[in-house]
Amino acid sequence: MKDKRVQKIKPIVHKNFFKNSNFKIKKRKKTFGESVRIFSTRSGIDLVFCTITLVLLAIGLVMLFSASFFNAYHYQKGDSYFFIRSQLMWAVLGIIVFFITSFFDYRKLKKIAIPTLILSFLLLILVLFMPIRNDVRRWIPLGPVSFQASEITKFAIVLSFAYLISKNFKRMSTFKYGVLPYSIILLFTAFLLYLEPHISCLVIVVLLSGGMLYIGGIKLRWFGVVLSAAILAVVFLLVSNKLSYANERVIGWLDPFNSTADTWQTRQGLYAIGSGGLFGVGLGKSRQKYLFIPEPHNDFIFSVVCEELGFIGALLIILLFVMLIWRGIVISMRARERFGALLGIGLTAQVGLQVILNIFVITNTIPNTGISLPFFSYGGTALVMLLAQMGIILSISRTSSIEK
Amino acid sequence: MAKGTTVRMWRRSTFVLFMLIAVGFGTIVLRLLNLQIFQGKALRQMALDQQLKDTVISAQRGTIYDRNMKPVAQSATVFTVVLEPAYIKTDEKKKLIASGLSEILQLEEDEIIKKASKKSYYVIVKRKIESDVKEKIVNFQKEKKIKGGIRLIEDYKRYYPYGRFASNVIGFTGFDNQGLSGIENFYDKDLMGEFGRIVTARNAVGTDMPFEYEQMIPAKSGHNLVLTIDESIQHSMEKYLEEGRINNRVKNGAVAILMDAEEGDILGLASGGFDLNSPFEIVDLQAKTEIESTKEEDRSKLKGDFLQKQWRNKAVSDTYMPGSTFKIITASMALEEGVVSENSSFNCTGSVIPFEGARRIHCHNRRGHGVQDFQGIISHSCNPGFISLGHALGAENFYKYYKLFGFTQKTGIDLPGEAKGVFFNKDGSMAPMDLTVASFGQNFTITPMQLVTAVGAAVTGKLVEPHVVKHITDENGNILKTKGKSIKRHVVSENTSKNICELLKNNVATGSGRNGSVPGYNIGGKTGTSEKVGNSGPGGKDYIASFCSFFPTDFPKYVLFIMYDTPKGDYYYGGLIAAPVAAKIMSEILPYLGINKRYTEEELEKLDTSTPSLIGLPIEKAKSELIQNQLKFSIKGDGETVVSQIPDAGSGIPKDGTVVIYTNKENSSKKIKVPNFVGLSALNANKLAFSFELNMRVSGVPTQSNEEVVASNQSISPGEFVDPGTVICVEFIQKDDID
Repeated sequence: MKDKRVQKIKPIVHKNFFKNSNFKIKKRKKTFGESVRIFSTRSGIDLVFCTITLVLLAIGLVMLFSASFFNAYHYQKGDSYFFIRSQLMWAVLGIIVFFITSFFDYRKLKKIAIPTLILSFLLLILVLFMPIRNDVRRWIPLGPVSFQASEITKFAIVLSFAYLISKNFKRMSTFKYGVLPYSIILLFTAFLLYLEPHISCLVIVVLLSGGMLYIGGIKLRWFGVVLSAAILAVVFLLVSNKLSYANERVIGWLDPFNSTADTWQTRQGLYAIGSGGLFGVGLGKSRQKYLFIPEPHNDFIFSVVCEELGFIGALLIILLFVMLIWRGIVISMRARERFGALLGIGLTAQVGLQVILNIFVITNTIPNTGISLPFFSYGGTALVMLLAQMGIILSISRTSSIEK
Repeated sequence: MAKGTTVRMWRRSTFVLFMLIAVGFGTIVLRLLNLQIFQGKALRQMALDQQLKDTVISAQRGTIYDRNMKPVAQSATVFTVVLEPAYIKTDEKKKLIASGLSEILQLEEDEIIKKASKKSYYVIVKRKIESDVKEKIVNFQKEKKIKGGIRLIEDYKRYYPYGRFASNVIGFTGFDNQGLSGIENFYDKDLMGEFGRIVTARNAVGTDMPFEYEQMIPAKSGHNLVLTIDESIQHSMEKYLEEGRINNRVKNGAVAILMDAEEGDILGLASGGFDLNSPFEIVDLQAKTEIESTKEEDRSKLKGDFLQKQWRNKAVSDTYMPGSTFKIITASMALEEGVVSENSSFNCTGSVIPFEGARRIHCHNRRGHGVQDFQGIISHSCNPGFISLGHALGAENFYKYYKLFGFTQKTGIDLPGEAKGVFFNKDGSMAPMDLTVASFGQNFTITPMQLVTAVGAAVTGKLVEPHVVKHITDENGNILKTKGKSIKRHVVSENTSKNICELLKNNVATGSGRNGSVPGYNIGGKTGTSEKVGNSGPGGKDYIASFCSFFPTDFPKYVLFIMYDTPKGDYYYGGLIAAPVAAKIMSEILPYLGINKRYTEEELEKLDTSTPSLIGLPIEKAKSELIQNQLKFSIKGDGETVVSQIPDAGSGIPKDGTVVIYTNKENSSKKIKVPNFVGLSALNANKLAFSFELNMRVSGVPTQSNEEVVASNQSISPGEFVDPGTVICVEFIQKDDID
C-alpha cells in the first residue's frame, strides 16, 4: 500500500521540476489581461491569480452557506442566513478592497513596514487585556466587529521581514544584519503569542519568517540553531506540562476515538470526512453539519466540504489552492525588485501554510489547534484582510514580468 | 538593477514552493485519501450510528379463521402514546400536557410530569389505546396548539370476537403481540409478519433532519390461519361440556374432542375455557377465593399456577389413564392378532386371578357377567374378559400394537406443549400384572388426543396426524400452505376395523354405552371410568369419566371424545356422565355434519308428530282429525267449537300423545302441577304423564321395558304449573351394568 502512495507523489518530484520548466515564459498574444490596464499606467494584473482568488472565494461562500445554515437556524433563532449574510457583506467589501489594493503601488508599503510591526506589538500587548474568549485572548473588539490581533501580526511580520531583508539583502549572511534583528522581532512576537496563547499563529509566524529568511539568503547553519532550540522548547513544554490545554490536545490527537480527552470536534470532523467517500453525499447534504460538528462554519468547514463533495471535490479545491500558491510565488519571483518578491512570497506562503495547517488539523494529522481556512471559514475581518493581501499580490503582479 | 531576484532566491523559493506543495499538500491528499477512501466505510458507519434513528413499525398479526372463514382472532389498530421530553422544554408545557393526558388516559398527573422531565426522546406513557382515545389526544393537541412532545405510534391489539370460544386451542398474545399459548404460540412465526422500520436521520440534539433522509421499510403483515375447528360444532361442544361439568361438580377440568379420523382435522376441541380478551383473569371462582385467602406474598405465585392451569390444553398437555375406553384398542389388537373371534366364549364370575400368585381382580359387576361372547365382554365392559384377551395377546404383542396405535409418540398435533404418556417400562417390557391391568386401560397414561387418534385408527384402519390448522393464507386469502391429510400408517386390517365398528355400535345400541346413543343414528362407542392412582381426595376415590364414540358406523369418519376429570357429583361413571353429554353434542352436530338419520322401526314409533290445527273446528271434526293422526284427545268444556288447544298447532307431540281441546275460554286457566318423573322407569313415567294429562317426550337411552333404564331429568321441574297437554321432555338413562 505505502509504496503505491509514494509512487503517486513521484510526478511532482520529476527532475524537470528543478529545471524550472514550469516557469518558462511562453510567447502569446495580448488578451483580455491588457484591458485591465486602462485603470493603471503600469502593466495589467495577473488574471490567473485574480480568477483563482475569486473562484476560491465563490466556492468558499457556497460552502460556508451549506455548512452554516442549520447551525444558524438552530442557534440564531431560526435565522439560517445569519452567517452567510454577514460573510457575503464582508466578501463584497473584501472584493472592493482586493481591487483597490491592486491599484496601490505596493512599494509604498515599505514606509509603513516598521510602523505596522510596532502596531502589531501594541495590539498583541493590548489583546492580553481583552476579555477571555474560549479560554484564550485573541480578539480585539472594534465597534460592531472584532478582529484577531494575530491577523495583523502575520501581515506585519511578512511586511517588515520583506522590507528589512530587501534593505539588507547584501548583508544577509552576517549575524548582525542577517540574524539578530529578525531573531529579536520573532522572539518578542512569539513570546506575546505564547501569552495569548495562540500556538497556531506562532507556528505560522515562525515558519513564515524562517522561509523568508531562507529565501532572503540567510546562512543555513542558523536554521540548525533555531531547529535545535525549537525542539528543546517543545520538549520542555511537553515535560513541564505548561501548556495543559495543548497537552490534552496531543493526547486526544493520538487516539481521537478512544481517548478520555475532549475530542468531539475532531471525531465529528473525521466522521464527516469519512462519510464523504469518493464522490461525497452531495452539495448541501452533509449530515454531520447538523450540530454534530460544532461550528461547522469555522475551522472545521473543510470537513463538511469533504463530506459533501467527497475526495474528488476536496482534491479539486486543494488543486485550486495549489494553483493559487504556485501562481503567487511565480508572480513574486518575477517581481521587479526584491521587496516585492519577498512580500509576495511571504503573503502567498502565509495562505498556503494556513490551508495546510487547517487541513492537517481537521484530518487529525496534527493536534487540534484553532486555525481557519482561507476563503472558507467564517470571519469578516479576516476575509477582508486576506483579500487585501491578495490585492497586494495583484499589485505586485502589475510590475512582474510574468505572462499575464 | 541589482534590486532584482537573484539565482539563489530563485532556487530557494523553488525549494519553499516544493516543500509547501509536496510536503504540505501531498500529506493532505494522502490523509484525505486514507480517511475518505480507505477508512471511509468505517468512519461512515460510525457517523451513521449517531445520525440514524430506528423506529420499529409493528406488523399486523394475521387473522385466525374457523373452517368456515369466521374470524376468531383479529388484530385491530391501536396506538402507543409516547412523550418526547426533548420538545417539552418549559414547565408550562409540561403541566399542560400532563393535565390533558392524565384526564384522557386516566393516569396520575405527577407520573406524566415525571416522564416529561426525563432526558430522553422517547418515553412510553400508555400502550394500546383505542382509536377513539387517540382522537381525543389529537383534538387536545389541536385545541391547545401543542406542537411536538406527544407522539402517537401505530400498534396492533389482538381481539377475540368470541371471547371464551376455543380459548385453549386459539391461545392469546402478549403485550408485544407475541403468541403465548395455543395456535397463537405454535404458529407465531406465520402470524407475526415482519417488523417494518423507519430510519430517520437526526441531528446531534435528536431532532429529525429533513425528510429526504427518511427511509421506510414497510411492515409485512402476518399470514392468516384457517382452522379445522368449526365454530358451530365447537360452540355446541363447549356448551354441553360445560353443562356437564357444572352438573357433575367436576373438579379437575373436562375435555371434548371431535376429530375427522379420515383427514385428521380437529373440528372441535374444548378444554376448560377463559376469556381470550382478558387471559390473565382467573375464571374459576373457587380458585379466585383461594387466592384471596392466601398470604399477600404467596398470591402471585398461586395466581401464576392457576393461570397456567387455566391456559393449559388438557387434551394434549395432560395425560391420564384411559380405563375402559382403551378396551377398544385391546379388542382391536386381539382381533387383528386373531386371538379372539366373535364366537369366543368368556366366563365372568365377578373376579379373576389372572395368573398364578397374582392378586384377585374384580369386575365392576361383582356378581359377574356369566358366560358371554366377544360382543358380551364389550357390551358389559367386562374386565376379566379383557384380562384373558390381554394374556392371550402377550406382552410383546401388546406393546407392538401399543406402539402401532401411536401411544409411544406424540400425535404431532400443531399445538404447543403436547405431552406423551408413560408406559410401564421404557423398553416396552411388562410384568404379568402390568399386562393384566393394561388390558383394561389402567396403570399407564396417555393423552386424550392420543386416544382419539388411536380409536380413529381402530375404526378406520389408519393412524392419522391430527391438526387444527387447515390453511395458511396470505393477506389476500391466497392459500400458501395446506395441511392436508397425513396418514402415519395402517394399523389394523379392514376386517378388524369393520368388526370393531359393529361391536361398538352394538355396545351403544344395547350395551354399556347406551347413554351415548342418539335416535336415528348409528353410533359406536365405549365408555370408560378410570381410577386415579394415589389421588384419593376427602370425598373418596377420584375417577376420570370418559366416553369415546365414532360415527357413522358404516363408514366411520368422526371420533368424539368426552372426558371429565374428578367428578364429585352423584355419579362418576363415564357412562353416566360423559356419554349423555356426547349424546347431546351428537344430536346437535350430526345433522350439521350432514349425516342422515335412519330410524329403526322402534325409534320411528317414538318419533314426534306434528299437532294438527284444530282451533275453530267443530268438536266432531277435530276429533276425527286427531284420530286420523293417531293422537288421543281430551275435551274440556262444553262448547261447540274448539277455542284453543294444547299443544299448539304445528308443535311436536309424541305419537300416541294427548291433545287437550278447550271449547270454553274460561276453562283454559286450569293448571296442572307437574309431578316428579326422575327415577321412574319409562313405563311408569308414561303412566304418570297420562294420568296428569301431560304429554311426555322421551329422550336419552332407547326405552325398552327395561328396569335398568330410569328417568334422570325432566324439562319442567316438579311443582311447576302448566296447562294440560303440555309436552314435558324426560331424559332416560341407563343406570346399571355401566362403566
